[in-house]
Amino acid sequence: MLVEPAPSPLSASGTNAQRGLKKAILRLVKDGPERLAIEAGQIDAIIDPTSGNAILLPDAQRALIERKVGFRSLIGLAFDWYWEQDEQYCFVSYRDATNEAFGLAEQGIIGKALWDLSISNMSEIGWQTHRQQLEWRVTFRDLEVRLTDRDGEMRYLSISGEPIFDDRDQFKGYRGITRDISARKQSEALIRESNRFARTILDALDTPIAVLDQAGVVLASNRAWRASAAARSGVGAGIAHGSNCLAAFEDAGRHEKVDSIAIIAGIRQVIAGERAAFRYEYSYSSSAGQRWFSLSISSVSGDDAARAILVHEDITERKRGELLLSLEHRVLCCLADAGNATDAVKSVIRAVCETQGWNCGRYFDLDKSASMLRFSESWGIAVAAVEQFLEKSRGLVFRPGAGLAGRAYQSGQPLWVLDGSRDADVFTTALAPESGEDGAFVFPVTSEGTVVGVLAFSNPIIREPDDRMLQTVQSIGGQLGRLLQRLEALNALRRSESRFRALNNLTSDWYWEQDRDFRFTQNVVGGPFRNADILGLTHWDLPNVVLTDAKWEEHKSHLAARWSFSDFEFAAVRPDGKHDYYSISGEPLYDEGGAFTGYCGTGLDITKRKRAEIALRESEARLRALAGMS
Amino acid sequence: MARKKAKRVAHDAPATTVVVMVLYITESGPNSLQAVSNIEAICEEHLKDNFRLEIVDVLEYPRRALADGVVVTPSLAKVFPLPAATVVGNLSDTSEVLRALGIRG
Repeated sequence: MLVEPAPSPLSASGTNAQRGLKKAILRLVKDGPERLAIEAGQIDAIIDPTSGNAILLPDAQRALIERKVGFRSLIGLAFDWYWEQDEQYCFVSYRDATNEAFGLAEQGIIGKALWDLSISNMSEIGWQTHRQQLEWRVTFRDLEVRLTDRDGEMRYLSISGEPIFDDRDQFKGYRGITRDISARKQSEALIRESNRFARTILDALDTPIAVLDQAGVVLASNRAWRASAAARSGVGAGIAHGSNCLAAFEDAGRHEKVDSIAIIAGIRQVIAGERAAFRYEYSYSSSAGQRWFSLSISSVSGDDAARAILVHEDITERKRGELLLSLEHRVLCCLADAGNATDAVKSVIRAVCETQGWNCGRYFDLDKSASMLRFSESWGIAVAAVEQFLEKSRGLVFRPGAGLAGRAYQSGQPLWVLDGSRDADVFTTALAPESGEDGAFVFPVTSEGTVVGVLAFSNPIIREPDDRMLQTVQSIGGQLGRLLQRLEALNALRRSESRFRALNNLTSDWYWEQDRDFRFTQNVVGGPFRNADILGLTHWDLPNVVLTDAKWEEHKSHLAARWSFSDFEFAAVRPDGKHDYYSISGEPLYDEGGAFTGYCGTGLDITKRKRAEIALRESEARLRALAGMS
Repeated sequence: MARKKAKRVAHDAPATTVVVMVLYITESGPNSLQAVSNIEAICEEHLKDNFRLEIVDVLEYPRRALADGVVVTPSLAKVFPLPAATVVGNLSDTSEVLRALGIRG
């Protein structure tokens, strides 16, 4: 606090007291250079020759007051109270630095030791340690104690102290300072709570997440990251808290070098703020099969240490699902494009092999008459050992229950062997150990619930199939089986039709079809008309057909009534003007819904017969004429 | 406050008389601060390393001022070489100070 200084004691004006002081000062300094210096304003204090006390002149007095106030203010910034203890560590004095804050004073501490107060956070061992420090006369710093103030609020105080010794080095007690650190402790508690909350949320996420600093060092990570880092192999394996992920990626093996370079470049760009995010997917082949990973990194702003968030996920399951979906789609396309059973089977085997990374596959067709599976088709990669293996498979047969294929046929379920050497039956009959194809995956090809064949795939490594894989092969087996059955039925129909046509050719000269408006749509094999002349025309529209109107009306009425007709005869004028004679028979056609769709039928060339009949009639007429003449 | 500014003569320098002085001040007093500043500048310019200066705060050591016969602060007392001399005030008059110290300005 500033004190208003008194007017200069040497000025002419002033109170009686000031005038008295002036006289006293002048008496002290008398005449001489001191008096001249005082009058020139160059003196700060005058020494009382009787007591030795310094009498401050106004300017010096003001400066001293300001200095003390400033010093007190600085002290107030450094601590809240200062105190002294006697040789028994009992408080003998305390003084507030600000006169405002709560402190040990409220506990009525004079005459008490620190451990006599109601401090709630010190254990017995803690007190013993503190007392040992005092016994050793050492300076202690920042002893944090917790107590409750008069309003019931929890307060934290930080106490520091140093021993006091007299001129003879005799221990006289302790003195020290106390600071109220409640606000800081509350802030720390809030930060801890905030950190705990953030940590809990982070740990609750299934996705592996790590926070990187500017150098790429992992500052923090969640539980999923720690678990996956410990289990992962290949690129970026084992990146733990505190380790540098850039260095870890740089240590990648030869096969993963390209992926590592891309990942490191992406991470560096994000950390440097050159791009907001970076995402990269890569695969890694291990003894357990191929696995896929997704690495995504996003920049962080507003934090001094954290620069990027790294998410490193194992997306193998998702990738496998996508591959299986792609396989199903590819199989559907193969089956749609296949012109015959051989093409269909080969394309399906190839699609499965290429999607799953398997070396080869074989199809064993069910010989119903012999009740056994016979090798039918195969596809394999262009490797000599695989080609030899497939070549040796030709002529291979499996009876129900024999070998993996026979067992799959018998059970109707997919079967697999991860290591063929463990299954003697499989080892000798279904697989080819000499080519290294130790693993096998076999599943039935079915149609309407019946096994019609078995697909067997071979590869050195066969992964344990999951539910999704089993669903896919079941679907593929069903689709292929239905197509094969349909193709077989179609072939049977074609054979039947061929036989029918052969028989038909024996009894008729041509086959024809009409639409619902009786226009010709087909005219097969022979007949009096060329397709170009009659297609799209009705029978009665044909220009060279000779028939009476009555006959046409009768024929039309039969057609309108959807009657079958036979031996409908008509004549056709040839280009040379002569007549040829034909006879047609027809049946109405209906679709699956019973709607009339037209007519179909056969035709016969009866020209010879008709001409013979005409000749016979003419002969009879001539005979009758001759008889009448006779 | 009692502090001393004792600057020794370098070994290879020619032997020179060292001036011994005591400056009595009142710490934080404006004239005292100015006197300290002035005497340091004078010593730097005219005495180089050949002086020993003791600064005494009379508020901290009142009996010292009384014993040395000091009446006001700031006061500069030349102790050695004799004869002794005293300058009172903020030492802004450099020629007066040099004269008291026995130095030609």
